[in-house]
Amino acid sequence: MVSTIQQENASINFKPKKFVVWLFVVSSTIMFGGWTSYYLVFAASKGKGHGLVLPQVFTYSTIVLLASSVALFLAARALKREERGIQQFFLWVTLALGVTFGVLQFQGWSSMISTGAVMVNNNAAISLIYVVSGFHLLHILAGLCLVISSLIGSYREVPQDVAVYRQDITSIFWHFIDILWIYLYVFLLLNS
Amino acid sequence: MSTISLHDTHHDDHGHGHHHETFLTKYVFSQDHKMIAKQFLITGIVMAVIAMALSILFRLQLAWPDKSFPLLESFLGKWAEGGRIKPDFYLALVTIHGTIMVFFVLTAGLSGTFSNLLIPLQLGARDMASPFLNMLSYWFFFIACVVMMGSFFTQTGPASGGWTVYPPLSAVPKAMPGSGIGMTLWLISMVLFVASSLMGGINYVSTVLNMRTKGMDLWKMPLTIWAFFLTAILGILSFPVLVAGVVLLVFDRSFGTSFYLSDMVFGTEIMPNEGGSPILWQHLFWFLGHPEVYIVIMPALGISSEIISVNSRKPIFGYHAMVYSLMGITILSFIVWGHHMFVTGMNPLLGGVFMITTLIIAVPSAVKTFNYLATLWRGNIRFTPAMLFAIGLVSFFISGGLTGIFLGNASLDINLHDTYFVVAHFHLVMGSAAIFGMLAGVYHWFPKMFGRMMNAKLAYLHFWVTFICAYLVFFPLHFLGLDGVPRRYYAFTEFEFMNKWLTVNVFVTWSAIIAALAQIAFLFNFFYSIFRGKKAPQNPWEANTLEWTTPVEHIHGNWPGEIPTVYRWPYDYSKPGAAEDFIPQTVPFSQTMNSNLPHDFEGNEEAERIQLEWEKTNKPAQN
Repeated sequence: MVSTIQQENASINFKPKKFVVWLFVVSSTIMFGGWTSYYLVFAASKGKGHGLVLPQVFTYSTIVLLASSVALFLAARALKREERGIQQFFLWVTLALGVTFGVLQFQGWSSMISTGAVMVNNNAAISLIYVVSGFHLLHILAGLCLVISSLIGSYREVPQDVAVYRQDITSIFWHFIDILWIYLYVFLLLNS
Repeated sequence: MSTISLHDTHHDDHGHGHHHETFLTKYVFSQDHKMIAKQFLITGIVMAVIAMALSILFRLQLAWPDKSFPLLESFLGKWAEGGRIKPDFYLALVTIHGTIMVFFVLTAGLSGTFSNLLIPLQLGARDMASPFLNMLSYWFFFIACVVMMGSFFTQTGPASGGWTVYPPLSAVPKAMPGSGIGMTLWLISMVLFVASSLMGGINYVSTVLNMRTKGMDLWKMPLTIWAFFLTAILGILSFPVLVAGVVLLVFDRSFGTSFYLSDMVFGTEIMPNEGGSPILWQHLFWFLGHPEVYIVIMPALGISSEIISVNSRKPIFGYHAMVYSLMGITILSFIVWGHHMFVTGMNPLLGGVFMITTLIIAVPSAVKTFNYLATLWRGNIRFTPAMLFAIGLVSFFISGGLTGIFLGNASLDINLHDTYFVVAHFHLVMGSAAIFGMLAGVYHWFPKMFGRMMNAKLAYLHFWVTFICAYLVFFPLHFLGLDGVPRRYYAFTEFEFMNKWLTVNVFVTWSAIIAALAQIAFLFNFFYSIFRGKKAPQNPWEANTLEWTTPVEHIHGNWPGEIPTVYRWPYDYSKPGAAEDFIPQTVPFSQTMNSNLPHDFEGNEEAERIQLEWEKTNKPAQN
């Protein structure tokens, strides 16, 4: 009886905190919305966009990020079935894919730089590519920290409800930054 | 039911078992929403005093541009050489005055204090959704304040391009002295501030949606909570856009990009930036900036709703209309930002659209105003200090709001843009009104915050002097504006047509000085009463809301036992048939059979049947 009450208590406390993450997602979306609106107004008033063929490597990084989301989904599913070992495996996969994504983004930037489309540019649309992808990468960094926190929780064998809570927060955030990147990438592809 | 009480007992045991509070965890790094509210309030008051002092400095310059005040030189050194404030420093003063008042006092000081204090207390929650985030929110705010004030101690002085920091003055570090390190510190401070606001706002929304006590459905929430809730939503939706804009500004300043810059020549040097547009900053800034003015005024409106209803001993007039008006203001505030930009060469059609959306805001605003007046109408009014300040808010909201209709018209705004008319307008409608709402809140909830009462006589003195002087300061400025006198100009002696306004400026400055002196009555009252005020009773204003059911002595977790259940809306004042003129939200209808009305039961047929049966057997006997 007491333990069920404790669990009830815990889940009561988790719900508002999870909601906090959702609200963060909203505000972050709006920040990127601000930048893409800047881009639209800039492009409309100047009659030009970034005018680049985006490096091929961004496509690969998008695929890697999508794969990482799938891995994270499998980790969450494993946790729900209380298979911590499988959860840990897929969390490691997510982590690796996340890091790979970061490396690929850097490669994307260097290939842009090699074609002369540098950050300090008289075409603000090109500068903006660096800004949005850079800030997205900061989000990835934060997401990786969350993945690590889920991993640590899993290894320390925290109670199931706490583990699910951490995993949920990681999932909300990671899937968000995945979708966010797809939005940004498609946006930049369509508005060249 | 039994599980809930068990759960609460468990919580308390936990609370007493593990909390050994030290000075540091209780007063400094506190995670208790009540303490954080006090931290926000006192920091806000300190910042308000600083901003007021800055305003007196530039008012001195405006009233006596040719006079020397040797005292100023001893305090300000090279910024007031020969006892006269330098033009650059004058610009810094108006910029930092605006920044502090809008962001640090009326956003963080107001929302931070009262959302933190009242959301858990009026909703029946033990604390915020994330107490840790709440603590961080305060400390980010505190650091933002320190950084902003730190800019006064730099060689080139604080940011001085106006509180809206338009590029190129803000984007080119060598544009003017304040564009250097001062501007950098401004931006750092503002990023910290936005982080603080977001952490706060996210917490408030999550708490309101998830942590209400049993029976507290959304339509039983006090209007204060509705206002704080919608304010927090506004913040979450608009502050990130400011961050987006600020980031681009930082890149322009520090890395040489051209987001906002184009075609500039400094002396003989041609700047390399090309292709950007400063207008884009204005779009991003005002997309935050306009909701921001509602972030400032809406909590004050919510506080006034509560105070006016309590002290009129009447239900608030049009509770639902009040909520829908707040929602209307919230939504409309996102589609009116263009009215700050009528003179940027905006397409007249677009200007027309922004004009119409702007004027529509007059509708919910007027609904609120009329509802305040209707609540006061034939009320059994108690003129407590809080009530006076709340009525003061209504007064300023009307007199400042009316000029908003002038300024919202694109054709009139082209004449009035950037004149003292604008200064007069917003100082009344969001400056004075919001400050009065904040002061009303302080006087009303001081007993809840500190367990003591403030001195009423000093409060009345404070009110009347401040109220009259605020009008004397801001009302004449309308006429300067109509005459075309631009804001932010350093010396009226420099322009022939402005000379005639010098005497008015002297009058305004004296009024401002008297108003500033009146604040000493408040400051003394506030700090003295914290320690020596009369002990507060449990429910000093005989109000219905939940916060007055908590013990006077603060405890972590707010209520010693179970959290009370809510049965009714918060505005059952002077209900016919009731024994007293207020029925707290925690009193079930079964205890007030005499005063229940059919619509109290919200269509619950069982309850209606019981009430009817009771009336059959009891009412005739009464007659």
